[in-house]
Amino acid sequence: MPREHLLKIGVSGIRGVVGEFLTPQLAAAFAQAFGTYVNAGRVAVGRDTRASGPMLQRAVTCGLLAAGCDVVDLGILPTPTIQMFVAATRARGGIALTASHNPPEYNALKLFNAEGLFFNHYERNELLDLYHQSQFRQALNDETGRVITEYGRPMRLHIERVLAHVDAARIRERRFRVALDAVNGAGAVMSPRFLRDELNCDLRAIFIDPTKPFPRIAEPRPDTLGEIAELVRREQCEIGFAQDPDGDRLAVVDETGRVLDNDDVLALAVDAALERLPGDVVVNLTTSSVIDDVAAAHGRKVFRTPVGEANVVETMQSVGACIGGEGSNGGIIFPAVHLCRDSYTGMAFLLERMAQTGLRCSELAGRLPRYFRRFGKVAYQHGRLAALMQGLEDEYPGAALDRSDGLKLMLPEGWIHVRASNTEPILRMAVEARSEETTEALYARVTELLSA
Amino acid sequence: MTAAHVLDFASAFGTLAGPGPVVVGRDPRASGRMIHEGVASALAACGHDIVSLGVVSTPVIQHAIRRLNAAGGISIGASHNSVEWNALKFFGPQGVYLSTAEAGELLDIYHLRKFSFVEWDKLGAVRSEADAIDRYLDELAAVFDLDAVRGFKVVVDCCNGTSSLILRRMNERFGLEFLLINAEIEGRAFAHEPTTNARTVKLQLAPLMRPLGADAGFLFDVDSDRVALATDLGEAVSEEMVLPMLADWLLPRGPGKLIITNLSTTALLEEVAARHGGRVVRAPVGRQAAMDALAAYRPEQIAVAGEGTGAVMMPQFRFIYDGIASMLGILTMMRERGKKLSEIVESYPRYSMLKGEVPLVTQRIPALLMELRERNRDARLNLLDGVRADYDGRWLHVRVSQTEPLVRVICEQRGDPPQALFDGLMEHVRSFV
Repeated sequence: MPREHLLKIGVSGIRGVVGEFLTPQLAAAFAQAFGTYVNAGRVAVGRDTRASGPMLQRAVTCGLLAAGCDVVDLGILPTPTIQMFVAATRARGGIALTASHNPPEYNALKLFNAEGLFFNHYERNELLDLYHQSQFRQALNDETGRVITEYGRPMRLHIERVLAHVDAARIRERRFRVALDAVNGAGAVMSPRFLRDELNCDLRAIFIDPTKPFPRIAEPRPDTLGEIAELVRREQCEIGFAQDPDGDRLAVVDETGRVLDNDDVLALAVDAALERLPGDVVVNLTTSSVIDDVAAAHGRKVFRTPVGEANVVETMQSVGACIGGEGSNGGIIFPAVHLCRDSYTGMAFLLERMAQTGLRCSELAGRLPRYFRRFGKVAYQHGRLAALMQGLEDEYPGAALDRSDGLKLMLPEGWIHVRASNTEPILRMAVEARSEETTEALYARVTELLSA
Repeated sequence: MTAAHVLDFASAFGTLAGPGPVVVGRDPRASGRMIHEGVASALAACGHDIVSLGVVSTPVIQHAIRRLNAAGGISIGASHNSVEWNALKFFGPQGVYLSTAEAGELLDIYHLRKFSFVEWDKLGAVRSEADAIDRYLDELAAVFDLDAVRGFKVVVDCCNGTSSLILRRMNERFGLEFLLINAEIEGRAFAHEPTTNARTVKLQLAPLMRPLGADAGFLFDVDSDRVALATDLGEAVSEEMVLPMLADWLLPRGPGKLIITNLSTTALLEEVAARHGGRVVRAPVGRQAAMDALAAYRPEQIAVAGEGTGAVMMPQFRFIYDGIASMLGILTMMRERGKKLSEIVESYPRYSMLKGEVPLVTQRIPALLMELRERNRDARLNLLDGVRADYDGRWLHVRVSQTEPLVRVICEQRGDPPQALFDGLMEHVRSFV
């Protein structure tokens, strides 16, 4: 495994393999830099269910107290719940201990500002400078803050926010039979409460024990969701929801046990959002054109951003978007609830669509325009990047180009997006077209060009 | 004491300690919570489970280490220092202070920063234990006859520290009636400096004795390992008296005949020892040296060990510096002898001590010590820690501080203060500046 995987201290915070790389020292120092940056005051801290969570939360608490912050201990909560709580309680900021969909040996500090949003580009750089200079605020004894626990209230707050934006009565009436796979993660407690108690679903849940390890690969993808697909079929559920360990991403299984394409899930959520509220749509460059079709049907615009939740969120803020997200990784961002990826908004939207239309989940997805996508990655040498990109341009001279994140080529028959990973020396590529043959042909050609 | 220091020291201890849980407790200083979180995090990262006792005295931590058969323990607190200080104290298995060798190894690991962090699925977990004080009191009640202390009117100045938790519980559980002042647990401002010396007692506690009609007064430091006294007559007793009084009580009880102490404590000890056929063993100043000296004897050879600071340990009570146990010892002595505290104090010959310090550049120290040896060659000399010279009825001790670039000067005399000796000595030491 290349060294870059094991620890990354960068603009997205600090992430790494716990043990030799992500140490309590690093976590405390980073938290103290954060506490210095927000200049004391209240900071909320929550975590997902990773084994290293309690250890790192103590290190973070130590660093924040040392910087003179009061620490609000939220315990185990989904990341979006933490973000909403920070914003609602006017805390100076928040820290979530979660490596999201990464394997259990990883953990990370995710940092939020007073609005409960991921640090933007400028905030992140400033924090990083503070961290590197190690000139932290050192609270004197009588300036040392307190630790306050806040369990329960954040969950209620989040659930109320979501329910305010859907026709919950209609969902309850239908008493859907719903399958859930919470990967024993941060959603393990909140999701049953949301679906069973709040939305009156006939719930069939697996992996809802937050004290147990992740039972499957943490990232909810078609190839990792065999159990819930099987559960849906066996229990004849109408829909199945699968979360990642920190409850921001959502994957959906239809009543036949098929895992829906994440871009299609986002398209259904976009459709639901545009139906009720004004505003445009923001997605990243790699998200399917199906979003453009859905937006066009509502007479709205689509803005494209570089890959990364922070990029999508920043553009959503500046254009006052109604909804946004990143298709491939299952992120639905609905600012009326909060400007963050939220699996709960996604669940509510899908159940509401089913309740309103009377259609099955597979039928809802089947009504969307059909696109075929293929994703892949190839290793590259740093010096060769420009030549590889030039080769692509030369191959498709008529294409419209977008260079805001790697290179995206818009062709009459589809599009190609190639970008260098932020975390590893690989190129990620995505190809989409209206037919499977065209997609395969484009993918093969691109792979050939990039491997040259 | 930054978060970074806390994490590195606790990681070093987690690396040094053998397998097994580590007991952690703290005194009430506000910064203690910050330090506790860092310590727990670092120990968990080294694979140790943590038994967290919350706000408790250092002796309670030491007893818990032994009871739980733990790999060691960390006490977070700065004892008799003022509120803005904080510190870590490390204990090995059985709750004993680290030996000089272990302490050296701990520092080496700290400086190398080579910590044995475990993998993510082997991290330790934190468990809270709320009844550590009660378990400690079980042992206390087994060693001391608590009925013997019943009926005295005892005033205790807790200095907002951990002794109040213990004594309040003793009142509840054993129906005792210790009258507690400054008993609120407080982390930001103590009622007064938590120093267990006669000056603090004279200012804070002694004036209350007569108005309250108290039989005895005790003043504790924040982590309750030291104690100082006020008599029924409202007199502040020198902190040097705690050890001789307890030696006087313990020596006849046997079997131990040794008093282990350091070179700077009162010569009254030799008189008390002689009364009971005992002997005084003097080690260099500092807790580590005391531990090393203790380790050189079998437990049953020792009657008592301690310092002139009011920190005393008894073999009956696990060789742990414990102010509460010292207090119970003195109260028991009053009961057994049927005497007032003032009468007991008066029964000893009076010794007077003078203390001073001189800042000195390190390179001048060998010459100073050499000359002191020369000047005092007619005295009985002990050179284990600077120069201690004993004459009949008086002695002097000049040594280098372990914590500051200072030379400490102490003189003591049977009877009145040895002012001329002290002044001459100070002048001599200053001539080396």
